[in-house]
Amino acid sequence: MVNFFRPRKTSPRLERLHELSLFVDLTPAELQIVDGLLHERDYLEGEVIFDEGEEGQAIYIIAAGEVLISRQERGDAGRTVQPGGTEHAAVQPRRRQGDSGRVAQLGAGTFFGELALLDNSPRSAQARAASPCKLIVLFRDDFVRLLDTHARIASKISRQLACHLGTRLRDMALSVGAYHHLL
Amino acid sequence: MPGRGHHGSGPIVWAVIIATTCLLLLVFQKLLWLVVPFLLALILYYFLYPAVRALIYRGMSRHAAASLVTLAFLALLTVVGIALTPRVAGQMEVWQDTVTRYLHGGLQLLDNSLRSLEATWPTLASARLADTVATRLAQSAGSVADHLEPIAIGVAAWTPSLLLAPFLAYFFLRDGHRFKRFLSAAVPNAFFERTLFLLHEIDRTSRAYFQGLITLTALDTVTLAGGLWLLGIPGPLLLGLICAVLAWVPYVGSILGGLLVVLVAATDFHDTPGMAYWAIALFGVVRLLDDFVYMPLTVGKSLELHPLVTVLMIFVGGAVAGVSGLMLVLPVLGVVMVIGETIGVIVTDARLMARHRHALALRRKQASSDL
Repeated sequence: MVNFFRPRKTSPRLERLHELSLFVDLTPAELQIVDGLLHERDYLEGEVIFDEGEEGQAIYIIAAGEVLISRQERGDAGRTVQPGGTEHAAVQPRRRQGDSGRVAQLGAGTFFGELALLDNSPRSAQARAASPCKLIVLFRDDFVRLLDTHARIASKISRQLACHLGTRLRDMALSVGAYHHLL
Repeated sequence: MPGRGHHGSGPIVWAVIIATTCLLLLVFQKLLWLVVPFLLALILYYFLYPAVRALIYRGMSRHAAASLVTLAFLALLTVVGIALTPRVAGQMEVWQDTVTRYLHGGLQLLDNSLRSLEATWPTLASARLADTVATRLAQSAGSVADHLEPIAIGVAAWTPSLLLAPFLAYFFLRDGHRFKRFLSAAVPNAFFERTLFLLHEIDRTSRAYFQGLITLTALDTVTLAGGLWLLGIPGPLLLGLICAVLAWVPYVGSILGGLLVVLVAATDFHDTPGMAYWAIALFGVVRLLDDFVYMPLTVGKSLELHPLVTVLMIFVGGAVAGVSGLMLVLPVLGVVMVIGETIGVIVTDARLMARHRHALALRRKQASSDL
């Protein structure tokens, strides 16, 4: 009974999850619920995480290591793609690595493949482990169920997701001089 | 992704799916003591799951919600059991008489029907059909006690196994989500997302199937009970429920249910034989409603199977594994179909296989780097 009034202890794993930008707003109790939905995967350097054009089913959060985001070059010279911009354009499935162009290299704490949580669009870039890395994966259907069962937690995650997408949109707009979109 | 109906699985994949289903049915037939409680636990799980989910919606932890719902269900069972036991014990002797009375009523109806047929067709009369059937039935039928004894022994033998069902259902409710993580952890990285999708699809299919089955049982019960009540047959709700549960076994269950209704109608209205025919007509209408309206709206819709495949597989299930095969064939086929189609998609995806080989090569290289 006394324990009931004590602040909830967090495990090192939950503390590590709390440091990730996507889960920064979650309380220890909420993190525990989310932790039940997460999968952990280990990738070796050079291993493909997902391919450009593949149907996205999950968002990946980098717990350790680095991930290279790359996409095939296309004819639109002068176009700049911002770091983390893995999925903001409809592309045709293309998978060869020979003519791929580097988009960004992401480090621990960041996430990628986030649009898979929102729609069924194909991945717009390839993700490959740039070093041995540990990834935390949240499956879309688990996130959709979370929206039903724990709307408060899902809204906190969605807010972080929206902040991330907003930042990216702002960066893109600034880079092409479309300032009126920022008003 | 292998969404059913979106991919045209090839004949080889379908041959493997059907062969695997038959093989599993054969294995399950040998393990009925485990398969039956497992199946009942799954039905119970999908029956109780909405309550657990409602509690989770209100902020309760999964463990607490599963425990509370299972305890409430067991408490309800106990209360009903305690309330009914003295009544059942008191009625045992009466029930034995009732069963005998209904059996005699049914036999009388059969005899009357055959004799009226003989009166219409002289060929049947010359073959002495009614006498032959009556003699055969008299030879094969002993006293009711002779038949009740093996049933009682069977129930006693199955009780410990059936008690497993609520126990299993509790753990399904509490730890079902962990099982998905456990399975996906064993899958290579290249196939990970596809496998997650597959597990989700299996869960969705099973949930839709069993919740569809529960809905179908409720619809059948209400329709039959309504019809029997209109005909004035006693105990319409109980009879409707028994027939609806028997209908879980395709064809055989429906025939048994129909026989039961006819026996009751023929005995309780022995002076109006037309009532038995009305009962048969009612049962026929309900079966048609069940096959063409209720089933496609509930169970059939959940599995998204072609009606021809459904009917053929029911026959195959019955031929391979008898009554248990009839009962299990559709859920087993539904799960094997999702797994088979997904594996078919994965092994024919050259890119995924190449990624898997690349990952294996990287792991081999890492393992032998200091050798």
